[in-house]
Amino acid sequence: MSHTDHTARVPLSFLLPGTKARVEAIDDAVDSTQREQLVAYGLAANRPLLVLQQRPMIIVMIDEVELALETDVARHVWVKRI
Amino acid sequence: MHSASAIALVGNPNVGKSVLFHRLTGAYVNVSNYPGTTVEVSRAAARFDADIDLIDTPGVLSLPARSDDERATVRALLHEPLRALIQVGDAKNLRRTLTLTALLAELGVPAVMALNMHDEASARGVTVDASALAEALGIPVVPTVATGGEGVAQLTRHLSDARKPQPLLHYDSTTEDAISELSQLIMQHRPHPRLAARGLAILYLGEDSEVEAWLRNATHEAYAEMMRVRTAAHASGVTPPALAHERGEAAGTLATRVTRRCADASPLLSHRLGQWVIHRVWAWPILFGVLFAVYQFVGVFGAGTLVGLMEDGLFGEVLNPIVTRLVHTHVGIPWLADLLVGQYGLWTMGMTYALALILPIVTTFFIAFGLLEDSGYFARLSVLSNRLFKLFGLNGRAVLPMVLGLGCVTMATLTTRILHSPRERLIAIFLMALAIPCSAQLGVVLGFLGAISFTALLIWLGVMVGVLILAGWLAARLIPGRRIPLVTEMPPMRLPVPGNVAKKTVGRLKWYLIEVIPLFLLGTFIMFLLNQFGALSAIIRAGEPLVSGWLGLPAEASAAFVMGFLRRDFGATGLFALSSELTAIQAVVGMVTLTLFVPCIASMMMIIKEQGIKIASAMLALIIPFAFFIGGLLNHLLRLLWVTGA
Repeated sequence: MSHTDHTARVPLSFLLPGTKARVEAIDDAVDSTQREQLVAYGLAANRPLLVLQQRPMIIVMIDEVELALETDVARHVWVKRI
Repeated sequence: MHSASAIALVGNPNVGKSVLFHRLTGAYVNVSNYPGTTVEVSRAAARFDADIDLIDTPGVLSLPARSDDERATVRALLHEPLRALIQVGDAKNLRRTLTLTALLAELGVPAVMALNMHDEASARGVTVDASALAEALGIPVVPTVATGGEGVAQLTRHLSDARKPQPLLHYDSTTEDAISELSQLIMQHRPHPRLAARGLAILYLGEDSEVEAWLRNATHEAYAEMMRVRTAAHASGVTPPALAHERGEAAGTLATRVTRRCADASPLLSHRLGQWVIHRVWAWPILFGVLFAVYQFVGVFGAGTLVGLMEDGLFGEVLNPIVTRLVHTHVGIPWLADLLVGQYGLWTMGMTYALALILPIVTTFFIAFGLLEDSGYFARLSVLSNRLFKLFGLNGRAVLPMVLGLGCVTMATLTTRILHSPRERLIAIFLMALAIPCSAQLGVVLGFLGAISFTALLIWLGVMVGVLILAGWLAARLIPGRRIPLVTEMPPMRLPVPGNVAKKTVGRLKWYLIEVIPLFLLGTFIMFLLNQFGALSAIIRAGEPLVSGWLGLPAEASAAFVMGFLRRDFGATGLFALSSELTAIQAVVGMVTLTLFVPCIASMMMIIKEQGIKIASAMLALIIPFAFFIGGLLNHLLRLLWVTGA
């Protein structure tokens, strides 16, 4: 990784409630329409988020938006803890 | 300069667009982004100028269009004679608002922004500098609270100041080259009377299917050239997600510049409540409480008290005797009198059923539904139920039509339009037609089986849930296509505004009266014809061996099945009439078969409308034998378990 940052990229689905993270990338396993949808909801590269819940679905807060994602999607969203 | 005379409201879902529309027109329109009711663009004369048509477009998450709602909005932009746009924005979610502005601005239509829900924003410690935003965008920006009517007068005044917005961004140079090349082609070969070629080029690059369809009307050579430019652009990295990303970045930068956040705003009650209702423990008692309240209101008050007053009281004792007497004295032709007030009379069966029995139930149901919808609970319910629907190849979004199906399957079938893929729609419609009893039927089943024993009711419920899961599981595996995982925004929990719920309920009831009553009348008419020509008794006779042999029911019960097609509860009522002759096993078997057996004729017609005659017939061909198969199986199983026949 080119950054000096030593924190590792992890899938969003790994994070526990209360964790703050920054979105790195959404990988191609998520179909392109849904990827666009995520970006429109605010889940886009470089944006900070806060994990609110893990169950029954992963719920994150981005600015004032609460977003629920299935694990099948969240494990393809790569983030770095901040 | 503009001879056009329409103004469109455009905005993201759940920003209060339709409430504002109502404020500006005084006409009723469905309030939430609730497709099936607003996917068709609604319009009304403006309150401030009767010559101007106000158009309420469905909410768009983003453009280029990907969903049916978004396509409807682009269609409105392309084809309506727009003089201006009112973009309805969400003050607490300015980034998303401006991402849409970034695209709308390129279309070159004069615009005004209504920055709505600034009360919700300030409750979260978010303030937007409206004048700085207005300056950046070059258009009037008016803070509003549509639910309270705040800012609506200023918005109306500012409509005459609508301007073409400043572009929010320049794309990178490769993208800009592709855009200008496409713009040239569009200007030469397919100029739009109102929309800027640059905006159309950007939408086309982003693969908007509506703009694509519009551009295809250029000459064959010209369109081929446009396609070539787009393919080359895609190959060099100018893809729809890349374009969306650039707009998002530009919107984010501007949003950050004009927004101030108060860091230590305390967590809101609505926020905490939103978390409780999906909490791993608290969610369930809350869900149970909500269901119980809905049951009390719809099942006990609506289906019990109100139906009693309407069906037995108003229709049974007052209206029907009067109408019957009138018809008999004034109509000399016996068959015509029969058609109106006979056993299968348009009035005595069709209208009585629609107005006395179903209307009170759907009214209470729509009120309860509207309250839950406006409170933000449904989005959370879809999160809670997602795992169950995953089993059916669906996602939690399907909870909405399914719950609505417990009220009226006909309407719920229409509501499956909110599901994202044709595959999901097919599965949901099939499951509802098979195993979801509507409120009318549910009422009779509960009354009938409940009177026999709690065990009888539990067996019925167990079989229904079992069949639903089995059929859903099979459908998910047999119907080709991919399941779409759930990604959903959870709007804040809000206290529903009674006025809005009332308006929505009225709108839905209007729909019910206009769309469904004719179907009931047609259904009654078909039954009347079948009866007149003796077909009804022939069908009943033909079904007897199956009914008395395989299902173990008395021969008369076969009439109930034919009735069940017309009115789902009527079949059940037919069995109810036989109840003194039925054993407990027969009662349970009869009710299970009837519930699974064909949906009512109104919902059947809705299925034909939504899915076509071929799929509808296939469903029927699958459901009827399946219902009898399960019924017979249950009959033999129960007889084995209780040899004496209880």
